[in-house]
Amino acid sequence: MSDGAVLAVRDLRTVFPSESGPVTTVDKVSFSLGAGETLAVVGESGSGKTMTFLSVLRLVPPPGRVIGGEVLFEGADIATLSASAMRSIRGAGIAMVFQDPLTALNPVFTIGDQMLEVIRAHTGMGPRQARVRALEVLERVHIPAPAQRIDDYPHQLSGGMRQRVLIAMAIALRPKVLIADEPTTALDVTVQAQILELLAELRSELGMGMVLITHDLGLVAKYADRVAVMYAGRVVETSPMARGFGQSRHPYTRSLFRSIPRLDLPADQPLTAIAGQPPDLARLPAGCAFEPRCFLGNGREDCRNERPALSPTTSDRHLSACPHWRTLLDAEPGA
Amino acid sequence: MLRYTARRLLLMSITVIGMVTVVFFLLRAIPGDPASYMLGDYATEESVAALKAELGLDRPVWEQYLGFVKRALTGDLGTSVVTGQPAFDEVLESIPWSAALSVSGIIIAVLAGVPLGVMSAVRHGTFADLFVMLGALIGISFPVFWVGLVCILLLAHEVRLFPALGASSSQDFFTQVHHLMLPALVLGFSVAAYIARLTRSAMLEVLGQDFVRVARAMGVPERRIVYRLALRNALIPVLAVIGVTFAWSLGSAILVEAVFSRPGLGSMILKAVFARDYQLVQAGVFVLASAVVLVNTSLDIVYGWVDPRVSVS
Repeated sequence: MSDGAVLAVRDLRTVFPSESGPVTTVDKVSFSLGAGETLAVVGESGSGKTMTFLSVLRLVPPPGRVIGGEVLFEGADIATLSASAMRSIRGAGIAMVFQDPLTALNPVFTIGDQMLEVIRAHTGMGPRQARVRALEVLERVHIPAPAQRIDDYPHQLSGGMRQRVLIAMAIALRPKVLIADEPTTALDVTVQAQILELLAELRSELGMGMVLITHDLGLVAKYADRVAVMYAGRVVETSPMARGFGQSRHPYTRSLFRSIPRLDLPADQPLTAIAGQPPDLARLPAGCAFEPRCFLGNGREDCRNERPALSPTTSDRHLSACPHWRTLLDAEPGA
Repeated sequence: MLRYTARRLLLMSITVIGMVTVVFFLLRAIPGDPASYMLGDYATEESVAALKAELGLDRPVWEQYLGFVKRALTGDLGTSVVTGQPAFDEVLESIPWSAALSVSGIIIAVLAGVPLGVMSAVRHGTFADLFVMLGALIGISFPVFWVGLVCILLLAHEVRLFPALGASSSQDFFTQVHHLMLPALVLGFSVAAYIARLTRSAMLEVLGQDFVRVARAMGVPERRIVYRLALRNALIPVLAVIGVTFAWSLGSAILVEAVFSRPGLGSMILKAVFARDYQLVQAGVFVLASAVVLVNTSLDIVYGWVDPRVSVS
């Protein structure tokens, strides 16, 4: 997949200084994304999902800093671009949709005004032409009567409508990559499905590569082509979605999958949780970061002393950072 | 929008009527009256009583109030007992002096305070930010009369840039402006300090909001983000406060007028209070209260226009 990749990231590292030493929030993260493909990025809060993509866009909030790695966008490394060249890629080449549509729009400007600001930042369009473009994309994200809606202020729209506006803003310049950072977390369940359907539809119509950051494994199974699992700032497994989580080759992914509440089990069955707490990024163990919570590793010498690298398993499209992945396949055939 | 404006205008007249009423009764509650003040320490009780009767001060207070309201409704605010001139005309004469000082002070304050506050926020934590905030701290904590005296000493005495007197009898416009500059700067400095601090904190808050991050992620240039998208949000609290600082600047103006020996509404009212010149105080308060309320109301209307969430709800 990496040859045709529209976005390929190699060994990306982002560090935040802290009193107890530098904290690596994104630790040698690598992944690639093909045109028209949906990559889901899952993991607990604080696992570095959002920070990875803010690093890709070079929008890491200070005092955080990207300290290494390559970001290849359409084959060219954008990690070394000048600030203004980078700005012209944001929004136009790689666009991002954020979690909370209620705070993501500026309350004192009409939605049309805000869309024009984005469109005109990247094109030489005059206000009239840009407005025509804005109306087109509003139509495209299925906002009813866009000609009336365009002059509304954000507070006059519902949460779902606002997320549609933000999506419209993100696709207005036909980006090659759309990063959707938990786009439905703040929305009602019924609206969630509509937004995801819209994103899927736009992805195939516009041929964008899409990154879906989420912690909802149900969404991953339904919408993603591939999935990258993150833990403590690292990617611990990437696999084609067709295999399903039951085939996962990392104990963390297995544990995540088992902790999904299931309707087919008796109601009095207690929910399964992963034992322990996510690690403190400032004090990561020398070996595998998941080792203290792992049902496989406990006690193994190599897990405690060596940091395992992301390596191919049975195929080079299914990578795992667990050297004992074979044990998983033998131990739990029915999981 | 029209209803919002109409409601504001109604509230505004109620406020002015309330102010004038309170002042009317408060004045009569202070010991002393214009008759004894005018006739001096050696006046006989009969002559004081006679003058009181002539001025209508012997009647019950509520009767005096009704008479005042009746006359005020026809536009007559009474006659100054000290000068014998219609009180309103006396007030009108001092308005240009006060208006020139307050308005130029506020304009200086906004023109200096808002950009300095924005710059401080954008470069927060740098030396420039520290420098501006230090200056603002001085402006807020040092009393305006002290700053005025120091300015006279430095800028009028040591370096003869400005005249030490804040007023001139000359009719020449440029001479007047030259005299106005130092008092206006002194008044503007203390208000600017306040506005700069407020703008800085409002701007810092806005720049941390989600929609700013979204605009950055969409590639909107930083200049547009700061000076258009964020500034309009940050100006909402600043606008609200400009009305308050206007009232406050009219108060400080009394001190500035005193330091620079400048005529004005503030010093006129002060003198009238000492002379128990009821009519003149009432007329002065009426004009002051109207000015403050008018400025605040127009700002409220502008507010509703800047922040679309206000007029709709």
